[in-house]
Amino acid sequence: MLQGDFQPKKPTRKQLIKLSIFGLIGLVPLTALVFFFMFLFSAWLGKPMAVFGYDEGPTQPIAFPHTRHVQELGLDCTFCHRNVTKGAAATIPPVGLCMTCHKVVGEGLPEVEKLQAIYDSGKPIDWVRVHRVPDHVHFNHQAHILFFSQRDAIAPSQVCATCHGDVGGMVKVKQARYLKMADCVNCHRDNGAPTDCVTCHY
Amino acid sequence: MKLTRRQFLGLVGGGGAAAVIFQACGVPEAELFVESTNQIPEDLVSGLDNWYATLCRQCPSTEGIVVRVMEGRAKKVEGNVDFPVNQGKHSARCEAGLQALYHPDRIAGPLVRTGERGGGQWEEVSWPDALGRLAQQLRGLRDPAALVMVTSPENSYSGLVADRFVTRFGGQRLRYETLESTNVRRAVKLVYGQDRMPDFDIENSAYILSFGADFLNTWGSPVRHARGYGQFRQGDRERGTHVHVDSRFSMTGASADEIFFVKPGREGLLALSIASVIIEDGMGNTAAADALTDGGRIDMGRFAPDRVADAVGVSADRIHSLAHEFAEHRPGIAIGGGSAAAHTNGLFNMIAIYSLNHLVNAVGVPGGVMFNPQPPIRDLPAVSTVSSFADWQKLAGQMRNGGVGVLMVRDADPMYGLPGATGFRDASFNVPVIVSFSNRMDDTTALADIVLPEHSYLEDWDIAVPDHGPGYQTVGFQQPVIRPFFESRGAHLGTRSFADAIMTLAADLGLDLGLPATFAEMLQDGAAQLHGEGRGSVTATDFRAFWNGALQRGGWWDANARSAEAAVRPPALPAQEEAPQFDGSGTFHLIPFASASLMDGRGASLPWLQATPDPISSATWRTWVEINAKVAEEMDIREGDLVRIVSSFGNPDASSAEGIEALAYPHPGVPPDVVCVPLGQGHRGGTRYEKGRGSNIMSILAPRADTQTGALAWAATRVSIQKTGGWVRLPKFENTVPDFPRDEEQEVIKITPTDT
Repeated sequence: MLQGDFQPKKPTRKQLIKLSIFGLIGLVPLTALVFFFMFLFSAWLGKPMAVFGYDEGPTQPIAFPHTRHVQELGLDCTFCHRNVTKGAAATIPPVGLCMTCHKVVGEGLPEVEKLQAIYDSGKPIDWVRVHRVPDHVHFNHQAHILFFSQRDAIAPSQVCATCHGDVGGMVKVKQARYLKMADCVNCHRDNGAPTDCVTCHY
Repeated sequence: MKLTRRQFLGLVGGGGAAAVIFQACGVPEAELFVESTNQIPEDLVSGLDNWYATLCRQCPSTEGIVVRVMEGRAKKVEGNVDFPVNQGKHSARCEAGLQALYHPDRIAGPLVRTGERGGGQWEEVSWPDALGRLAQQLRGLRDPAALVMVTSPENSYSGLVADRFVTRFGGQRLRYETLESTNVRRAVKLVYGQDRMPDFDIENSAYILSFGADFLNTWGSPVRHARGYGQFRQGDRERGTHVHVDSRFSMTGASADEIFFVKPGREGLLALSIASVIIEDGMGNTAAADALTDGGRIDMGRFAPDRVADAVGVSADRIHSLAHEFAEHRPGIAIGGGSAAAHTNGLFNMIAIYSLNHLVNAVGVPGGVMFNPQPPIRDLPAVSTVSSFADWQKLAGQMRNGGVGVLMVRDADPMYGLPGATGFRDASFNVPVIVSFSNRMDDTTALADIVLPEHSYLEDWDIAVPDHGPGYQTVGFQQPVIRPFFESRGAHLGTRSFADAIMTLAADLGLDLGLPATFAEMLQDGAAQLHGEGRGSVTATDFRAFWNGALQRGGWWDANARSAEAAVRPPALPAQEEAPQFDGSGTFHLIPFASASLMDGRGASLPWLQATPDPISSATWRTWVEINAKVAEEMDIREGDLVRIVSSFGNPDASSAEGIEALAYPHPGVPPDVVCVPLGQGHRGGTRYEKGRGSNIMSILAPRADTQTGALAWAATRVSIQKTGGWVRLPKFENTVPDFPRDEEQEVIKITPTDT
């Protein structure tokens, strides 16, 4: 026995019983609490809840109003998100595409002026991502859009809302569906799409 | 509060674990951005790749490549399946073009020297300023011949622009090649009457007899040869036989069925001996035999195997049987080059070797030597002429006497590759202005006064003719696969096309080049001539469609447009042997060889190529010396021993006169009186990957030249080997993982006598 060596004091029998009772009583709420926070946390990662305005969607470098472009001007989704029927990513349009109109349209509006300044600087815009699936998931826009538009004989831009909600009615774009695996699998099952692991995880 | 050691450790551990857990919960910030690029072509789909056909200019053989481009960035190089020279194959050197494009030490704008020459102090100036300074210097030249332009032997429109600029100005143009092919080209001219290098139809050949040329690895058009060789060995046909004659164990020698080591410089004598047997035994073409022996006036009996066997180092019987094999397996090709052409009797060797093809009817027939016709574009240079060592010595003398006012260098590094004994580097200090067009630092650029960085070939346009063509008319189209990398620096900085820079300079000087106003028009003019032919791989009714088609396929060719020229009547063989002469005091013959990846040193700045293992030793990143294993044992030299290779030549400055250092690589395949050292390392200037790495074997070569052509006899130096006592582990792949431990009690296969 050297000095400084660890040697816990041996509890008495009474202390042991007390400890185990308190421990057992404490364990139940603790476990419940842990589960609750885990659930909350994972749900939050999937889609923030509608409390204190957390579900509003992030603030973007330019406050782009989908309402004005879609609802008021009637632009088609695929007018800007051009690759949605051609590739995996729907793609955010390049600044140059915005400028085809905004060279003349919207002169004097503060957000449009911001856009014009960015265009002149030759720099890209770093938008804040709203929809995201983890790295181990592959989502292909082309396959989904073409499947629904061909099956239901509708325009590709009418398919978008299935997952993205009514973006045309959003001032700030926010996530409309959970987009967790359960969400994906349910939808795949309902529509007769394959539910093998490698469908998405490859 | 008192904290014990235990509590402290617990807290640290817990904190660490918590940090890890919480880190894993979040999403990395970079993933929460989606970039919307400023400008993007309308038809570009991000995430989808585009493949552009262009030409690889990493090495002189001009192969067709396709480059994968995503979002305006080149990602991968592959061989162009359509291009007739390489037919979809490519080399490590082609792959590394990406590293040349995105090199961290690329020069991003014109530079002028501020400190003393070679001091490495530069100031960046604008293109108009830099070109203006050069124009001012050129105007100030009293004698226009004091302008010297050094380039690689360019068979392209850029080469034509350089040609015109120099001739209209009245200057001199030299074409640089480190291991020069002057002797081979001269022999081809004398023996076949051809100005262009012929194509060796290995694919359809039955027997290959090669002398010195490492044609599967570095010599000529290695990718084309290796592709044909694959068919030759494993194609849908009878397997061909390959015999290699060399004074070094090369990769080509290792691939052959049999390799003969001859005494250095005696390859020609062996070829004559083979010819004598073929003629004596009446196995060859009688007309050719008659011409070669000058109607019987040349006594071939003096080359009979038993009379030359000792001099050559191959037994008389074997020479005899070799001659029979070669004559009886048709079509067969004799190929000569490499170190066989790099002796003081190099031209003699080459004439003797290439004449063998006449004897076995292998000239102008499939499976033999096929001539390359001229391309159907006016003025486009198609004949590679190479300046000989004699020209370089003359230039060095001129430089020393102050006869050179402006030295312009493009795609060449003579300060690195010329033997130190020429004193070229020192002489360059007497040249008032040195201009380099390189976009990376190298030994020559480090001594320049003005650096005008040109585009990488992946950013540039050109039309070029492959030096080693496929035997029919072939023109390669080079197009940019990406926008110039430094374009964002504005119009006055960044890199420019060499041809554009020269044309701007000519306009500034008021020189009429006799060419279309811009390089773009020049290329279209060349393409229009091809379009006008109305035949070949791309035909179209309108020019626009033709232009797009040619760019898509990577060029234009016509497999039916073969050379109509008949081979000349073979000239008489040399009446007697010309013996090689050697210089230097040592006991070993020094055979330098082009590195498989670095070539003559041009690839040394690219890490991928530095790390590509040599095919024989599997060594990387260093300079090594291949020495016979038994000799090494006698000299007590082990692998990795730092040895000094001493010739009595070198730079006048003391350091290299004492020789160069290299790591020993004992190898049983090296002949006992030979040591072999790869080229490519030992750069004094250069980028972070090459500077000060290894040694430059060219610096200690004897300044010996071929007696007839003046070509550098780079295999004519004798050296001695001295141990320095140092040891460095040779970085190589082979044998770095030890053998599987074997259990002697448990045989994997047990062989038992059948009769028990």
